[in-house]
Amino acid sequence: MVGLNKNIMRAILIASYVVLIGLIVSALSGIFSYLNTGADRSKMLHTEIQKIEQYLPKIVWEPLDNEGRIMDAQNLSALQNDYLDAWYVKQIAYKTNKIAGIKDYYTDSSRENLYSFIALNKTEKTTIEATTLSHNPTLEFYSEDGQLAVVTDRNVVEYKRVFKADALVLETTETSTYKIIFLLEDGFWRIRHMVKEDNAIYNPEQKIIATDSLNIKGINYYPQATPWNTFGDTFSTDTISKDFKIIKDAGLNSIRIFVQYEDFGKARVKPEMITKLRQTLDVADKHNLKVVITLFDFYGDYSLMNWTLDHRHAETIVNALKDHNALLAWDIKNEPNLDFDSRGQDIVIAWLDNMIDLVKSVDDKHPITIGWSNTQSATLLKEKVDFVSFHYYEDLDKLDEAIKTMKTEIKDKPLVLQEYGLSSYRGLWNPLGYTEEDQAEYHKKIQNILAVNKMQFMSWTLYDFKDIPTEVVGRLPWRKRAQQHFGFINQNGEPKPAFQYISKE
Amino acid sequence: MKFKQNYIFVISLILLSSFTIVQNGEKDSDIKLITTQTNFEVGSRIVLKFSSQGEIKPLLYCSNSYGSTLISPHNESGTLEYQIPENISIKIGVLNWKLLNDEHSITGKINITPKAEVATMETYIGPPSIESGGADYTMLVVVPTDSLDNPVPTNTLVTAKNQFLDYEETHDIFTKNLIAYRNINSKKETGRMLVSSESLGTNSKEFTINVSAAIPTNFSISATRSHGYADGNQITTFTTSVIKDQHKNIVSDGTFVTFFITNSKGNILKTTGLTLAGVATSKMIHPDYADSWKIKAYVDGMSESNSISLDYVQVIEDFEVTFSENNREITIGPLQSFMQQMIPDGLHVKLNIYKGNTFVTTLTKTSFNGYVHFKLKPAIFDNGTYSFSIETAGLTKEFKNKKLW
Repeated sequence: MVGLNKNIMRAILIASYVVLIGLIVSALSGIFSYLNTGADRSKMLHTEIQKIEQYLPKIVWEPLDNEGRIMDAQNLSALQNDYLDAWYVKQIAYKTNKIAGIKDYYTDSSRENLYSFIALNKTEKTTIEATTLSHNPTLEFYSEDGQLAVVTDRNVVEYKRVFKADALVLETTETSTYKIIFLLEDGFWRIRHMVKEDNAIYNPEQKIIATDSLNIKGINYYPQATPWNTFGDTFSTDTISKDFKIIKDAGLNSIRIFVQYEDFGKARVKPEMITKLRQTLDVADKHNLKVVITLFDFYGDYSLMNWTLDHRHAETIVNALKDHNALLAWDIKNEPNLDFDSRGQDIVIAWLDNMIDLVKSVDDKHPITIGWSNTQSATLLKEKVDFVSFHYYEDLDKLDEAIKTMKTEIKDKPLVLQEYGLSSYRGLWNPLGYTEEDQAEYHKKIQNILAVNKMQFMSWTLYDFKDIPTEVVGRLPWRKRAQQHFGFINQNGEPKPAFQYISKE
Repeated sequence: MKFKQNYIFVISLILLSSFTIVQNGEKDSDIKLITTQTNFEVGSRIVLKFSSQGEIKPLLYCSNSYGSTLISPHNESGTLEYQIPENISIKIGVLNWKLLNDEHSITGKINITPKAEVATMETYIGPPSIESGGADYTMLVVVPTDSLDNPVPTNTLVTAKNQFLDYEETHDIFTKNLIAYRNINSKKETGRMLVSSESLGTNSKEFTINVSAAIPTNFSISATRSHGYADGNQITTFTTSVIKDQHKNIVSDGTFVTFFITNSKGNILKTTGLTLAGVATSKMIHPDYADSWKIKAYVDGMSESNSISLDYVQVIEDFEVTFSENNREITIGPLQSFMQQMIPDGLHVKLNIYKGNTFVTTLTKTSFNGYVHFKLKPAIFDNGTYSFSIETAGLTKEFKNKKLW
């Protein structure tokens, strides 16, 4: 018994010794690695820091006609960068009620004004999420020594969401005019004074775009070899031309294509992607097909801080293609209602609402729609879109009634069934699935319903695909298999029975 | 479980909101703005009053130049009172507000007007150093602010004052775009200009502007030397006249002057100097052979001097060369200067050695006590027949077929 106790004591002593040594070694190595960080000569000039684009509201300077020194492009750009950063840090500060970053962009005395707001809002549990969507600055004055500037920023469009104890109490879009004095301190253009000179509720003019002539009989298009990646490395106008000929010959008049948010380069849209998109439209034009472009696909952020980046994405694409003859309409976002649960319905709707305003401000000729994934959501934002689009993969017997219900709620705008289809997959993962004959029957039946209801349509999709990217339906094989067999043409390029009902009963 | 909670939460929210909507529908018509004043002087107490019959206490959203917030009311006998927080009421500009009672809520704007009072004269002046002559100027920018750190109203009078030599000037300027500014031009003279400003009884501190001379005009140069002999030892000093700008202001000390010396071979020697009280000096050692120099000075890119020329007289007319120690020791000298004194130490003597017709090497030495000795070591120079040429003070002597053994 005594021997056992002794052994236990020994074990404890040895163990504690080992632990102690371990701690000392890790402490010493911690100190050693701490002393080895920092003064790295290669980083002395901060050459590795690249400007991250995080806030890009539309900014249009009035022609320079300022008093004082003549402004040059480089200084103006520095002023603009710091001014937008000042807005950005302010938005972050009011969103989090923290003061980080403010001192870089506001002088000693002006930052007190922000601090007092943050202190007040913190105690009152008020938080404000905001972003500015457009700026129209005028340079009023630039001092002879280049250290002081006065700017009037007219009609700044500010979108705000005000929360009290985490509950949204106000959503507002305002336009304001600010007069701002900047001082160049420590290489930063800092705000010294900011005076709001005018304010109004923002009410952009709703321009109605005629949709009477719309007669969409179309199809959602992806190339057979590269579904969900039309504009990748394998992009080929020959393939597209061949496919468009099939579509045109089948009696259809339009296609729907998709702009993938990240592939296109987010806020800075890659020029080569625009080129490919334009080439696609050129080919469509050659075959006398019209194109519905879905501006946002594979996008699900919606956060207010990134709105300005999303707007630049849409603006670049719309600006590049708005005069194209083949363009039929802009579809803002594919199935946004699927993000209601994860992101919140109100923020998604607000995002769409503002995106519609943005697209209309760039292109006021082409109609706008949103590709809702079901009939229930179709009435959302019905007053903002020019025609209402929805997708239908449910029971065909209920379609007729669903259309009639929608028509009672949406009286003055065309309805377009923008996606529908049936997978003809019957196999290992779904032995009781539909056959190709079932699929043909489905298309025959739906063409009948569409004709009776005088509905415009775009079916899903031309081809059976071989590879479905994981991002589309996930990894589950039964889902992938089903997604592979929605086409009118099978994987070998032969028309399936459904093909005869592609455009008519 | 989480789902269930979420559903309950959403449903209860919907229920709740429908109730509040109903309630508002009944009550909102009762809420009316009582406050009619829309212009308030900055710093004053601002209270927005609404008449209200019910018990509801909607929040008031308000937003000014720097931020936005929500205000809760005090309800006193049928009146809703919203006191604008101090951090908002002390800042000028538009304050927009909205009563958050229902969709048709009341909105409004208040102008918080600046005070005609100046507490601080925030003054910026630059550039701090300008050129005389009247064309160059510095800019005075004044941002007068009140005691609450707001810019003052547009068209507030600011007096810009400056003193320079005998001049004392004041000018009235007015604030516009939150600031007032004035360009202050230099005069013909150089000196220090003192600048200050004043508005509504508050004065700025004093600022100093340095008015320096404008660019120099052409000048003349002269040279002084102790004698005109090319002894390779004495120094010639070049001096400029007092360099001035076009208004006869002496240029700033430290103006850089370059002297270009072109000798009779066309080579250029260069020496530089900085001005002190307008005069730059620079030195150059005499040549050790007869030469003729042309000298011209420049202030780079701005002005130049006249051209002067100097002649140097040969001092060594001839020199003796003796061979000894199997012709392996060559002694040159005595080298004598213009008064037959031994030439000062340091005169260059060059010995070119040829074996037959092939050039072997050049040895260079400087004179010491009037002589130069070359020793040709047998380890380096084999026995044989050599030729030598000796150059010094622009003279050359040749010795052919000397046998070393």
